[in-house]
Amino acid sequence: MSPNRVSRAQLLLVMILLLVLQFYLRPRLWDARISPDFLLIALMLYAMRSSPGVAALAGFVVGLIADTLTPARFGAGALAHTLVGYLAAWGRSIFFADNMLVNAGFVAAGLWFRDLVVLLTSGSDHRQLLTELTLYSPLQALTTAGCALLVLITFRAWFSIRLDA
Amino acid sequence: MASVSDRRYTRRDTVLVLLCLGLSFVGLFSPVERGQAIADTLRETVLAPLVWLQARAEEGRTSRVRFRQVTAERDSSSYLAQFLPSLRAENERLRQLLRLSRRLNTSYIAAEVLHQPQATDGRTLLLSAGSRDGVSAFNPVVAPEGLIGVILSVSSRSSIAMSWAHPEFRVSAFTVSGNAFGVVAPATEGRYGEGALEFRGVPYRDSVPLGTLVLSSGLGGVFPKGIPVGTVIGTVRVEAGWERVYRLRPAANPGSAAHVLVLAGGRTGDLARAFPSDSLLEAMRLDSIARVRRADSVAQAARAARAARRDSLARSSPILGGTPTVTPPPATDSIP
Repeated sequence: MSPNRVSRAQLLLVMILLLVLQFYLRPRLWDARISPDFLLIALMLYAMRSSPGVAALAGFVVGLIADTLTPARFGAGALAHTLVGYLAAWGRSIFFADNMLVNAGFVAAGLWFRDLVVLLTSGSDHRQLLTELTLYSPLQALTTAGCALLVLITFRAWFSIRLDA
Repeated sequence: MASVSDRRYTRRDTVLVLLCLGLSFVGLFSPVERGQAIADTLRETVLAPLVWLQARAEEGRTSRVRFRQVTAERDSSSYLAQFLPSLRAENERLRQLLRLSRRLNTSYIAAEVLHQPQATDGRTLLLSAGSRDGVSAFNPVVAPEGLIGVILSVSSRSSIAMSWAHPEFRVSAFTVSGNAFGVVAPATEGRYGEGALEFRGVPYRDSVPLGTLVLSSGLGGVFPKGIPVGTVIGTVRVEAGWERVYRLRPAANPGSAAHVLVLAGGRTGDLARAFPSDSLLEAMRLDSIARVRRADSVAQAARAARAARRDSLARSSPILGGTPTVTPPPATDSIP
């Protein structure tokens, strides 16, 4: 994707919108454990259009926000989001991700991987790990991927996502 | 921003990734107090507008303003509106909190729980009240059903509560009958390990029957005496000859709590009377509904009486378009 297809200003606008959605819309939705994570969508959209280093830095910042608001184990969110951002940037260059469903799949996989790392580094017992990774994380991944699809459809002109997939 | 085609893995990327990973590991392995201090600082400065935004959203979702109006009006239409399932459940929960706050003999601060999308959200809760509202570290946090946790760290506008689901949570407790004392901690094993509690350290000679309510004992000075912690639902293990460990169903669920009360009154007496049993609560609820119905029926009767009086006046007054009431002459027999 060339830089002029999605300019920095347009991307910034979408990021701000997702930030507002995260803190204003998400609390009004259903159960917090399965409601979409708009910050992760923002991170994935940004990471898939950035170099791995910048994506990792963005992931670190998002993780720091998560750790500040849920300090069950400070640093776990930062580590998880850093890895997610880095891998998303790499994944984008390895897979052909100029496709809406692939983008949504990236978001869902990123969320599940984020939860895996957070749970492992914050010392969860195996039962909680199993429940979270087999029930709540997939559900949240689905809702988050659905919202990512909506964002991509809404701003398809800015992100130049193919709709014929 | 690099494109796919010209993206290269530069030295800058390596440095950035290693830096971020290094900082994350520093955060992970640094002392808990330092991590909390950083989190408090960030929450108070950079993230303050976002926390404020979420607090407003929570307020909107839980319709506290609407609830106040409903409570103030208390008329039939709002009564019927409460039968909408979600609104009724929410109102019931807020009413329980209001009733609890009336029964508490200690000062308290009402706070909203700002749930986060992290998998570990149930272990620590972000509350919308902070030191500015009077919250301080180690204040107990309760819901109408019972104990939620304890305040872990406080900043001026928000605070972090450690719920009973946190692996490091402990509370000294005793059975409602008073025959067994022990320590309650999150369950770590067994079929129902997740979301359950364990009542540990109960002497082997003290057997506790199923269904027994377990309350905080007040020992240790953090939690007041008498807050429901859970109900005994089984035995986890018996250490031969000296200890029994029981499984408890927690009294309150931190994952679904939207509003909580932070007890800020320091060390208080027995709070058991503030948390009556389920049957008593149900009786109180039905009694309040009956009172509302009685008030409604009296008001309806008064309205009907006024309407009847207006009608009769209208019929009897010619000024109001009616015909004067004339006493009919006595009937006479007619002769055909």
